[in-house]
Amino acid sequence: MIAMVDCNSFYASCEQVFRPDLWGKPVVVLSNNDGCVIAANKEAKALTDIPMFEPVFKIKDVLVKNNVKFFSSNYTLYGEMSQRVMNLLGTFSPQVEVYSIDEAFVNLEGMDHLDLHHYGMQMKETIFQYLGLPVGVGIASTKVLAKLANKIAKKKPEHNHVYVMDTETKRIAALKWAKIGDIWGIGGKHAKRLKSIGVFTGYDFTQLPLSWVRKEMTVVGERLWREMHGESCLDFRTLPKKKKAIGTAKSFGQKLEDLERIEEACAYYISEVAEVLRAQKSCASYVQVFVITNYHSKVDQQYSKSMVATMPIPTNNTFALITEARRVLRQIYKPGYRYKKVGVNLCGIIPQEYVQGNLFEQPPHTQNPNLIKVVDALNMKYGKSTVASAMIGTRINEWELIKKERSPRYTTQWGELLKVGGSELTIKSPIF
Amino acid sequence: MQTRSSGKIQRVAHRHEPEVSKQTGYPSAATHYMEAPIDLNKELVHNKDATFFVRMEGNEWSKLGIHSGDVLIIDRSFSPRKHQLVLAVEEGAFTLQRMPEASPHELCLWGVVTYVIKKVV
Repeated sequence: MIAMVDCNSFYASCEQVFRPDLWGKPVVVLSNNDGCVIAANKEAKALTDIPMFEPVFKIKDVLVKNNVKFFSSNYTLYGEMSQRVMNLLGTFSPQVEVYSIDEAFVNLEGMDHLDLHHYGMQMKETIFQYLGLPVGVGIASTKVLAKLANKIAKKKPEHNHVYVMDTETKRIAALKWAKIGDIWGIGGKHAKRLKSIGVFTGYDFTQLPLSWVRKEMTVVGERLWREMHGESCLDFRTLPKKKKAIGTAKSFGQKLEDLERIEEACAYYISEVAEVLRAQKSCASYVQVFVITNYHSKVDQQYSKSMVATMPIPTNNTFALITEARRVLRQIYKPGYRYKKVGVNLCGIIPQEYVQGNLFEQPPHTQNPNLIKVVDALNMKYGKSTVASAMIGTRINEWELIKKERSPRYTTQWGELLKVGGSELTIKSPIF
Repeated sequence: MQTRSSGKIQRVAHRHEPEVSKQTGYPSAATHYMEAPIDLNKELVHNKDATFFVRMEGNEWSKLGIHSGDVLIIDRSFSPRKHQLVLAVEEGAFTLQRMPEASPHELCLWGVVTYVIKKVV
């Protein structure tokens, strides 16, 4: 059997752990540059007029009116809390596949002698006691069914966030309950097509002939079909897939005209993505840079342009990448526009050990690898961008952008620990 | 100097630390008695995934020996026993108290205080 464990409104829950004054109150988390709402807890979702993924400036009034507490995203905190969740799950099984920041598959193979419902309850209760985070647990014979069981655990309150799909009757009932678009792995396009031929539920899908599924939806569809029949086809992956391309783009706090400032932002984003590249021990062959003006604006002249440059040698060296990206930026930048965004993408990503040098240059990891190692070590220890290329300039905070409402990094910075006490609290008489 | 061998070639591994040689003279009497130095993380943190650090502000709890600026180590994996110091939540605010013998009201526990770190210099 396989358990799918996922945290309920993870980002908002992480914030609430350290803020008991917000327990039971609506909380939303905004995207990286405070642009959009990216997460909301159930209290906030209950206020149906808060649209997800809407720009904040459009809905600020609604948030304020409903007393919704909003936070800038604090990925440092969420990442660390996620790590703790995964570690705890590791005490329940030797094999845990971290699927996303707030979801994991837990392999329960060979544990059939246990009362799995009880075991699922234990997972839920341990994570809630140790971390204060609510989770849902779905247990079934395959990953696709576990994902569905998890949905049932969450959607049907009588199960109290733990649901075990351990009989054929339960499997069929669940599949009949699930809309076809809700099945993990069936995307919007397939869902639409399937509905047009009268397949509305997961159960309808399992009644299709396998030959048809294989022909129309390839082997991916076939695996899905088999998984839904209870035949496990998706392996447990404990190592993440390496990324094929890494990019970042954030809106500026205000519109920028000045090339120098845009260069600084560009250099900053390159440093961010190059760090990811080094963490997975890869190198990038190409760097893409794009600029864009604010398409929401009716008065500004519009312009956008993107360009790709080939690195002389695939590299993950921040400084080499910045130099190249800057060259590209200078070619696509046109003066006289008010830019809203600059973005970078690193593509053609290959493992670092496969990089070939050429006649004139050695592979990058053989050139001065210590400098970049020290930079990474310092930033790990003292926080992001403690040491960086001078190309970034001194306005780092502007590129990290309006993070006014970011909560403290409670679990990683000694200077930002959770504070208890202070004048506004009444003194509780302690009982001895 | 430390060397790293890769096949037949031996090369010097660069280290940016002072070079302290092993004892070259009379053999150390401590040879068979070496132990790992004390690691506070190991001593003070029992379950790192359930441990949080909290900084106290104000002197409301000076009766409990806890003053402004102290850092508490809180372990949420512990089940509190009576009289133990716990961080609890009352009416949406954190409060520090001894675990009562019999709870007069439902106590909303946040975690058990396992150590108090005081800075004295």
